[in-house]
Amino acid sequence: MGKALIIDITKCNGCYNCQIACKDEHVGNDWTPIAKPQPDTGQFWMKVTDIVRGTLPKVKVAYWHDICQHCDDAPCMKACRQQAIYKRADGIVIIDPEKCVGNRNCVDACPYGVIYFNGDLNISQKCTFCAHLLDRGWKEPRCVDACPTEALRFGEEAELKEYIKQSEVLHPEFKAKPRVYYIGIPKRFIAGAVWDPGEDECTEGATVTLTEPGKAKKLVARTDRFGDFWFESLEVGKYSLVIEKPGYKAKKLEGISTEKDVNLGDIELVKR
Amino acid sequence: MAEEKTLYKGIGFCSIDSDGHTSEIDIKDGRIIRIRPLHYDRKYQPEQFKPWKIEARGRTFEPTLKTLISPLALSYKKRIYSPNRILYPLKRVDFDPRGERNVQNRGRSRYVRISWDEALDIIVGEIKRIIARYGPYAIFAQADGHGETKMVHFPHGQQKKLLTLLGGYTLQARNPDSWEGWNWGAKHVWGYEPVGLPPQTNLVADIAEHTEQLLYWGCDAESTQYGWAGQVGTRVRYWFKELGIRAVFICPDLNFTAAIHADKWIPILPNTDVALQLAVAYTWLTEDTYDRDYLATHTVGFDKIKDYLLGREDGVPKTPAWASKLCGVPSRIIKTLAREWAARPTTIVHGVGGSYIRGPYATEPARMEIVLMAMQGLGKPGAHIFKMTEWAFFGSRQQLSLPKAEKIITAMPASHDADFLALVPQQIIPKDMVHDAILNPPISWYGGYLFFEPVEKQFEKYTYPVEGFPEIHMIWSDTPSWITCWNDGNSYVKALRSPKIEFILSQHIWLENDCLFADVILPVSTKFEEEDIATDVNNGQFSLIINEEKCIEPLGEARSDYDIVCLIAERLGLLEKYTGGRTVRDHKKFGFEHSGCADYISFEEFEKKGYFILPTDPDWKKDPPGMGAFYADPGKNPLNTPSGKLELFSQRLAEHFPHDEERPPYPRWIPHGISHQENLGGKRAGKYPLLLVSNHPRWGVHSEHQDVTWLREIETCKVRGPDGYLYHPVWIHPSDAARRGIKYGDVVKIYNERGAVLGGAYVTERIMPGVVSSDHGASYDPIVPGELDRGGAVNTISPRRTTSRNATGIATSGYLVEVARADLDELTKRYPEAFSRPYDPATGPRPERLLEKRR
Repeated sequence: MGKALIIDITKCNGCYNCQIACKDEHVGNDWTPIAKPQPDTGQFWMKVTDIVRGTLPKVKVAYWHDICQHCDDAPCMKACRQQAIYKRADGIVIIDPEKCVGNRNCVDACPYGVIYFNGDLNISQKCTFCAHLLDRGWKEPRCVDACPTEALRFGEEAELKEYIKQSEVLHPEFKAKPRVYYIGIPKRFIAGAVWDPGEDECTEGATVTLTEPGKAKKLVARTDRFGDFWFESLEVGKYSLVIEKPGYKAKKLEGISTEKDVNLGDIELVKR
Repeated sequence: MAEEKTLYKGIGFCSIDSDGHTSEIDIKDGRIIRIRPLHYDRKYQPEQFKPWKIEARGRTFEPTLKTLISPLALSYKKRIYSPNRILYPLKRVDFDPRGERNVQNRGRSRYVRISWDEALDIIVGEIKRIIARYGPYAIFAQADGHGETKMVHFPHGQQKKLLTLLGGYTLQARNPDSWEGWNWGAKHVWGYEPVGLPPQTNLVADIAEHTEQLLYWGCDAESTQYGWAGQVGTRVRYWFKELGIRAVFICPDLNFTAAIHADKWIPILPNTDVALQLAVAYTWLTEDTYDRDYLATHTVGFDKIKDYLLGREDGVPKTPAWASKLCGVPSRIIKTLAREWAARPTTIVHGVGGSYIRGPYATEPARMEIVLMAMQGLGKPGAHIFKMTEWAFFGSRQQLSLPKAEKIITAMPASHDADFLALVPQQIIPKDMVHDAILNPPISWYGGYLFFEPVEKQFEKYTYPVEGFPEIHMIWSDTPSWITCWNDGNSYVKALRSPKIEFILSQHIWLENDCLFADVILPVSTKFEEEDIATDVNNGQFSLIINEEKCIEPLGEARSDYDIVCLIAERLGLLEKYTGGRTVRDHKKFGFEHSGCADYISFEEFEKKGYFILPTDPDWKKDPPGMGAFYADPGKNPLNTPSGKLELFSQRLAEHFPHDEERPPYPRWIPHGISHQENLGGKRAGKYPLLLVSNHPRWGVHSEHQDVTWLREIETCKVRGPDGYLYHPVWIHPSDAARRGIKYGDVVKIYNERGAVLGGAYVTERIMPGVVSSDHGASYDPIVPGELDRGGAVNTISPRRTTSRNATGIATSGYLVEVARADLDELTKRYPEAFSRPYDPATGPRPERLLEKRR
């Protein structure tokens, strides 16, 4: 057991409070032995990134969060020749700012890319879950305290079970056993809008069937009143799609690649 | 090691009235360690303040037990300790009050440090000289607008009382900015004061229960809430989504609200919403899906609109096909939108400002929106016009859309501004006509003080100068942000360099924007360096009053705006009269005693605890939602209009302005007129083929926060140019960018005949083709003052003329521009001085560029 952080991407409004609160806590403030000051700009122990998905008008934005995963099998700890990186009983991984001599092995070893090298101080640095505050009785780190929507939740792993159930960890194949759990990691979507050029009307109630060649599973969606359909949470792959409505010629679209999110645009469905 | 100490501050930027960002401030060794949300239950138990609960469709919405402060409040430490702080009085190096004033060099010359004594000598000397020569009305007070919210030390208008004691002054009359269309248009339909928006009472609960569709129209509530309302709006929006209420966004840009909340985005060309609205009405009319009974009982004048819609009046039926060509929305989408709307209870959401309400002829979409809502029974359960930005409004009970506290509280009595908001001197200049007043007097306009005035005032004609009164010859500004926030900043720059203006005094916290044109600049402290009192009733969760203790010592020689006017008053022998013989603590105490909180807690205990939270009114559910009472019985609950009904045709406008084609008695599609030619269908579009959207900024309030390092490094805040300068983002669609050879990160020039502004290309699918977007408020960094700006202050090239001939609002969104890739090498060669000024990407232009070494 120990501390865990839940990041719910579906609840993030992109206010960047987490990134800013981290800076408010760590820039210009020295919390040795937990952490020395973070540089003012350019480094982010909690980093938010805008991900703009799709094309006009089927566009969505997700806000990605990069942060130390506080792995239970942390590659950074193994890579450090100075034994400057340790794991606390509550699961938090700390780079001891007084033991670190700036070898940067941890920076290279971290598969999540969340350890920064502070050239001015000649040390590696990263998120500490604000352990200096937890040790004084705070219940959560600054980023979580500043989050207005509960997109971030922090606590004992056991108390967060309900959320952990809905979540996934990043790159389980690294086998690093992260303590950060993500809900709603954006996958890919395929969307489009069906219309009847003869009537100049949106086509409601058309059946859209999506298949991934070679796979038996089919996904079915119906167009809404605007003729819109969305398939969400798709894996990267090649798809084909059939649009059908009684009285109309069926339309087949093939070779749809979900390397990126896909807006198929306005699709004409013509009467028989 | 000293212990950390925790104090409380409201960190809102409304300037007066109230906050929504109550924060805990941790201090150690005289420095601010951290700024963080207030946990309401730190000093009080929830049973004491009684958290409310809204239940609908089997789900519950409750307030959190902490304040939901915005990133602008959270990052404010960087603004307090900004390198741009003015630390001591400054004088323009070539300004000599006894000799050459060199007004032509304003905006070019540097500044030299002077002592407070020297500064006060100059200021008092100039005040006396100007009054002796021209009379007191030659002094012009720019004393309004947004800024740090404070009471005793309120940032805008401290000088008004002193100038009144000196015999009068000319006032810059503030426009109800961000409500242009509502104030100058909607008010004539429904009479709602003070700015033309309808009652909001209990709308969250009503929408949760009854609404099936929300139309977010041309606004970005996720961003506009940052100023002083906290982020409860985000939680409300997510809750509405959970309830299954569909969110449709109608706007040219996938703004920050649409980005996360939209179920459907309908991109529309800026300032063409009226065309879409007319076509929706046309569809209802021809498909007979509108509420005839409501129109008969609740409105007057629909027949005129019906004739116009059907083309009986001008021969043009307002069909979806007609509208589609004008607004860029396919006709099938317009028809579907109309049918969806008629089929289910629909509420329109606004967020103050945005692409919809601040354009040329903004009166028309505002008025047409009321027509549409009336056609669907405005005020019936689930059908409202909902402002989703701030959760209170100037102490009005009718503006609380979330459950209310037992009382509406205010600490305004702590501030002498309360008396002066209502006291208007005999000569005024509307804020959006200051450049015209200086450059081309006499001027005339309709509407008086323009803020908090009844709609009838809009029928009164005003002139400047008033007969027998002088023109203005001195400007005393505590609001030096006009250039980047108002209309046609480039003309304003020319006005500031007029020899008529003999002396400009600015008092401000940071060396930025209009300060660059002042003759003397006084250093102002932030609220963290002052003792004050505040209320926070804007956050939507709970109402509280805050004892704002001084957190740190003033930086340099900074003083509060109040203290500065005290110093000047003292030299003029008016200190006692100015302060009323009260100390700051006396003012605070007076404010507390008249706040409405003294019944609950003593002043001493309030000081000890640091804040007090009002309990929720147990009867909050009893207030009818929004316009519900009018809907239920218009006879018993008439509107403040001559007929008591919704005047879809305004007889008063017809009588007072019979020949006004720019604001006729009922809303119309007005692409061009005497005042504006800013539509794609006109001649100017040949040369300037793009429409510019200018929203309220995402990462600042108007001109504020531009030097906050932690905001500037956010991708949507600034774009790093190849020269290392952080340019203000210009959103452009990939197709428009490709046509112009523009790539992401390129420096671009936005221009029209009013000037040019540089920006950083943000090439994105979040903006529709034919449109570019750039927030107003970027710090002015002139390359050629009045012509070319590097900072991205896009309002410098916005239309000078007001909303329309007789509507005195600003029109700073939805106007024509062209965008081109800027040739940085050529610009650097041509303007070597401008491109070699001291600069730090983290904070922007360095103050050293403006400072001479001490004499």
